[in-house]
Amino acid sequence: MQLEQFNYDNKIVRDFGIATIVWGIIGMSVGLLIACQLIWPEMNFFNQYTTFGRIRPLHTNAVIFAFVGNAIFMGVYYSMQRVLKARMFSDVLGKIHFWGWQLIIVASAITLPLGLTTSHEYAEMEWPIDVAITIIWVVFGINMFGTIIKRRERHMYVAVWFYIATFVTVAVLHIVNSIQLPVGIWKSFYVYAGVQDALVQWWYGHNAVAFFLTTPFLGMMYYFLPKMANRPVYSYKLSILHFWSLIFIYIWAGPHHLLYTSLPGWVQSLGVVFSIMLIAPSWGGMINGLLTLRGAWDKVRTEPTLKFMVVALTSYGMATFEGPMLSLKQVNAIAHFTDWIVAHVHIGALGWNGFMTFAILYWLLPRIYKTQLYSKKLANIHFWIGTLGILFYAIPMYWAAVVQGLMWKEFTPEGVLKYPNFLATTLEILPMHMMRALGGALYLTGVIIMTYNLVKTMKSGKLVANEAAEAPSLAPSVVNERSQHRRLERKPILFMVLALIAILIGGIVEMIPTFTIQSNIPTISSVKPYTALELQGRDLYIREGCVNCHTQTIRPFRSETARYGEYSKAGEFVYDMPFLWGSKRTGPDLHRIGGKYPNKWHFDHMLDPTITSPGSIMPSYSWLIGQKLDNSTLVAKMNAMRILGVPYSNEDVGGAVASAEQQAEYIVKELATNQVTVKSDREIIALIAYLQRLGTDIKAGPKKEKSTQVVQD
Amino acid sequence: MFKQITNLNGDEMYLITSLWIFIVFFALVGLMLFFMGKDHISYMKQIPFGDPEEEIDRSTE
Repeated sequence: MQLEQFNYDNKIVRDFGIATIVWGIIGMSVGLLIACQLIWPEMNFFNQYTTFGRIRPLHTNAVIFAFVGNAIFMGVYYSMQRVLKARMFSDVLGKIHFWGWQLIIVASAITLPLGLTTSHEYAEMEWPIDVAITIIWVVFGINMFGTIIKRRERHMYVAVWFYIATFVTVAVLHIVNSIQLPVGIWKSFYVYAGVQDALVQWWYGHNAVAFFLTTPFLGMMYYFLPKMANRPVYSYKLSILHFWSLIFIYIWAGPHHLLYTSLPGWVQSLGVVFSIMLIAPSWGGMINGLLTLRGAWDKVRTEPTLKFMVVALTSYGMATFEGPMLSLKQVNAIAHFTDWIVAHVHIGALGWNGFMTFAILYWLLPRIYKTQLYSKKLANIHFWIGTLGILFYAIPMYWAAVVQGLMWKEFTPEGVLKYPNFLATTLEILPMHMMRALGGALYLTGVIIMTYNLVKTMKSGKLVANEAAEAPSLAPSVVNERSQHRRLERKPILFMVLALIAILIGGIVEMIPTFTIQSNIPTISSVKPYTALELQGRDLYIREGCVNCHTQTIRPFRSETARYGEYSKAGEFVYDMPFLWGSKRTGPDLHRIGGKYPNKWHFDHMLDPTITSPGSIMPSYSWLIGQKLDNSTLVAKMNAMRILGVPYSNEDVGGAVASAEQQAEYIVKELATNQVTVKSDREIIALIAYLQRLGTDIKAGPKKEKSTQVVQD
Repeated sequence: MFKQITNLNGDEMYLITSLWIFIVFFALVGLMLFFMGKDHISYMKQIPFGDPEEEIDRSTE
């Protein structure tokens, strides 16, 4: 058979590698900053653009899509060329992919601190960036499938299956989760409301973890671990079994993020059952990885790359055991909304994603620079300081979670909450938050050491931009292969279609009935759309990222109804686009905050939270008092809401600005009676209007009528 | 006691159907594995080691 000469493109691999390091340092630094803000809120430097609510999404997106994203592309571009024995399909597409992705990251890093956010967790970027992500993802897909089609290896290695599943699933997740109605260039509304929006968001959120943070890394594990250990994967059959089971089951598990909420019970149950089943394929991957090292454990002692891989796999095993456990309703009842979730996520991010990325960087960069790693000793120091960082991060967070979860639920013998003031539980865990920040600092220090080590390594060698390789050309297949899967491994498009079917089934079964059967979302006649001013206030709540610390869903537990009030009903959220249930209670739930305190309390609380809550770690939002409310897009916003099904009348829309001004005047007058002087066109007034409305629709009728009267006055 | 499945209110059909879909899917994948040849498995495992200069440690095979 004719032997063909060709080159591997290492330049694109190097570029993504450098981007991984740069964005990793930035993303983790922002993470350390927000960890410190949860102890010392003044570390926002009294600036709205660096306040927790706005830059927490910057941290999560920078780490997920910039650090991990670039690491994925680095690993995929390196390994795919080699297992397919072909150069990437197009150098130009590779460059568009690289620079397009970096541009998306820069755009996100600018817009998120500006408060331009959709508030969907891990998908906060506004619609123009969503469109850009779609285009660049398609470019990546064309380049990937182009390479697969022109390959010289007949069968696709297991790593490529994971890359195909990643591509197709992330595309589906991103598109479905990004269906929005634009109002302006940087403002849009999701087409889903309330419970349905929550289901879509967590179907996306959970599977972003699955198909962005897990499957591409499993694919990379199947290539890089055998290469590092210099021995083939332990079990190929296990890889097939765990691949198909993993992609099939993962997609169903999203609703475990919404247990005890107003999501229909049967969807919650499906989420629980499939989450528990998920432990089998997840551990299948971990076991396959660890057993690949069977007989090579002596190398783990000497090779830092293998040390990183072992901790990465162990972290994966731990996180994927923890996930199903957290899905058990009894565990979820205590752990949800606490720091346990933060610890769980960081075991995966720091251990699994971070450590495998470091291992690959240490292994790959010396090879493409045809040199040796500058210092194995520094890599070992990085390993130990990073491992210590993970422990210092996770253990205090688990501790904090148990403390807070139990304090929230503790009653006195007399039957009242033992810690009725939420702040008492927050202050109790501050020492644990300090330890967590120390853990983050240690981990970041390790990354900086790695950066120095890798820069010195690259300086000591020269990039082999086009690495020579040869392989026999791929002759047309004439043998009808006996095994179904064997045939499938040489048909990438069919493989993609089957993977697509496998991942669609779960979403379809859970979503279509929730969207189409009326009884799943019972309506409540007293629930009315937000007024114009409340809608503006809601957008400010979204802009400031309040949802990052406050939930808006009260679970049907005695401990929650005693603390917050009546538990939340599905019908209360039918006009919530997007839903704002949140996923973490750094502060108390706000669903029944409406009418609980006078307007002046909210004014003082936003001016300086320690006035109303001494010791509070909430930052001051004093700029809301100084900044003028922008009503220029109010009519467009209400029109958009009407298109999405909110029953605003022509009068509501046409008179929106006047109505907002009228309601603002009323609030200002009320504040004036309490010696607060503020102009009616300030943002704080809209936010107060929104907060005072929250959760009041299902309260006693007369109060609602009074509120309506107030607006009409 | 296993109390995870609650509040189905007659919607058991979704859960049972979903589990059946998975069982059938899992059985099909299992059957494919059963009929897979050993030589092919060995071949697939070696794909990452295609570079001619590399020596593979096969001591445990």
